[in-house]
Amino acid sequence: MYWNIRSTCILIVLFPLLQSSKVRYDGVQDWLESQTYQHNYQQRTLKDYDYTKYHKVDEISRWMNLVTEQYKDVVTQHVLGMTYENQTINYLKIGEKSGKPKKVIWMDCGIHAREWISPAFCQWFVKELLENYKTDEKISRFFQNMDFYVVPLLNMDGYNYTWTENRLWRKSRSPSPVSNCSCFGTDLNRNFDASWNSIGASQNCCSEIFCGSKAESESEVKAVVDLVGRIKNDILCFLTIHSYGQLILMPYGHPNKTAPNHDEHLKLGQNAANAIKQKHGTSYRVGPPSQILYPNSGSSRDWARDIGIEFSYTFELRDNGTYGFELPADQIQPTCEEAMAGVNTIVEYVHNKHFGSAAAATVALWSTVLASYLSLLVLVQ
Amino acid sequence: MRWTLWIVLGLFPLVDGHPTLKTNQNSLETADAALNHQSGSLNSVLHLDDTEKAALEPTRVDPAFPMKELNTSHYPATRAARVAQHYLNYHHGSPSKWFMVHDIKKASSEDIPEVGTKYHIQFSVQEQATKEIVGNCTAEILFRQTEEQSAPEVNCTCDDLLKIKTSDADHALYLHIKHQPEPVAGTDIPDSQGNIPKEMEPFWYLGGIGASFIMWQQSNESTLYNMVHVHSVKQLNSENDLLAFDYVVLLHDMVSQEIIHWHMQVAWNPTQGVKVTQCNLLPKDTMKQPSAEKHKI
Repeated sequence: MYWNIRSTCILIVLFPLLQSSKVRYDGVQDWLESQTYQHNYQQRTLKDYDYTKYHKVDEISRWMNLVTEQYKDVVTQHVLGMTYENQTINYLKIGEKSGKPKKVIWMDCGIHAREWISPAFCQWFVKELLENYKTDEKISRFFQNMDFYVVPLLNMDGYNYTWTENRLWRKSRSPSPVSNCSCFGTDLNRNFDASWNSIGASQNCCSEIFCGSKAESESEVKAVVDLVGRIKNDILCFLTIHSYGQLILMPYGHPNKTAPNHDEHLKLGQNAANAIKQKHGTSYRVGPPSQILYPNSGSSRDWARDIGIEFSYTFELRDNGTYGFELPADQIQPTCEEAMAGVNTIVEYVHNKHFGSAAAATVALWSTVLASYLSLLVLVQ
Repeated sequence: MRWTLWIVLGLFPLVDGHPTLKTNQNSLETADAALNHQSGSLNSVLHLDDTEKAALEPTRVDPAFPMKELNTSHYPATRAARVAQHYLNYHHGSPSKWFMVHDIKKASSEDIPEVGTKYHIQFSVQEQATKEIVGNCTAEILFRQTEEQSAPEVNCTCDDLLKIKTSDADHALYLHIKHQPEPVAGTDIPDSQGNIPKEMEPFWYLGGIGASFIMWQQSNESTLYNMVHVHSVKQLNSENDLLAFDYVVLLHDMVSQEIIHWHMQVAWNPTQGVKVTQCNLLPKDTMKQPSAEKHKI
């Protein structure tokens, strides 16, 4: 029995060393070197990607493939659904791989076609996570405990239309559901089943806030609803990115609805706005749209809260109306840096609320170590 | 004893971080402080304290006096302040001077029976070219209760408005335009990527100042206007000392999310300022949309 404990202890000692990435095995050196060469080649291609420029639909799709290949240890790409024009909407699932279901942070970008800074931010956000998860303690913990589901470009049809025909297009590109109306497109952010068509939306198919013939009439919306609905119990926070206005919006758009955790939502949003301001001095206002912007209904943020996701925010990025939707590319970096600070505040809070802070985790681990040591000591004696 | 040492050494790599939480300079401290105050509980929750709750009160109505204090970050105040901004720009703006609301310090409103609602706003503005902030602006904005759209009546003054000195820049620009062999012309300002060639910037500003007149005239309590695009600008012949330009501008109303096309003619010289000499709404569909990147790869 003494010998068994000894061999067990040997295994315990050696196990973490075996897991370390610094271990090299004889006989696979050549294979490793060839992998490194390919890795570096792909890294050069992804390294060439300019995050301070606006990118077209196909460039974003190519970038998603590159990211998935380059960071295959932590990234997988999946189909979310289809657009009206039959484009495949993809999302990235980012985090340490695990056999069991993990908690989720959801982020979608580009739901409104003309808000170009939005998909630019999703790309920036992914880049920041992936370039830092090995060295940044916080991100490393996030990757262990959670998966980030990122949809870099939801309204692909509309976004493509802003590159080819009309820079200020907002809606989807589905044709009108009514025969006597020749306009195209439904406002995807009025099409969710959240007090749908009650206020701040229009049944005129030519309106920019046309909410569709019924809730979830748009395939892009259905795609989000299907996946988010399936994993809603695992989603800690739902983030949807827009521009412009410099706002952090929380539920609800409807003036008669207040979220049960309204105060906590507001305080967290204000903390995020403070983090944003610290970065480059940019002021963001925080609150429900029914108070700080305009009453509305059918938004993805409100729908997410309705189905039970505890925290749900819309970010309206820069600016305040100087350039509006046509934000100069030289503002991509500062806008993304400050938005990152805001998002990070929220992600860290919801993570720590669920998993405990790093300090608490460390204390828990040391306690486990001590307890194991003491019990082994007792056994060995 | 030796085995004890092996065990401790072996388990050491599994433990990362250290028992003290690093705090950053940024406001994560606020969240962390709130978390740490809950003695060791993992279910810490952010709470608003009483001062913060009081600040969030939307209105406080004194029955003896109809004035209603407004929350400065709520939309009634921001919409009224925007109208004051449009008014200020039309009366004091130029191709070198364009103001945006910077911060709303205080706001209140009063309902005047059978007349409308009057807003009182104290705010600061920032000039876009110089980035200078003019701190003390006050405005009264009256939105009349009318069936058809009527321009809000505005009284607006700012201390230190004159500290923004742009007359040299304006005069230099005026002379520069006067001496050009060809009339000024431009399209799609900014372009899709948000770029504005340096030489077109004054015409973007001038378009914004002219558009401010339209936005002021078209505003009510249910609108929030910005100029988001200059579709075209063309210098017109003029015989007097005013320069004249023909513009098509695109206005964005945040509330309806509509893009509204306006045609206007604008006259300007440095001493007389900017005047909109005529303007008309263009139908949505007959207008060519802001062009996308058709010619670039």
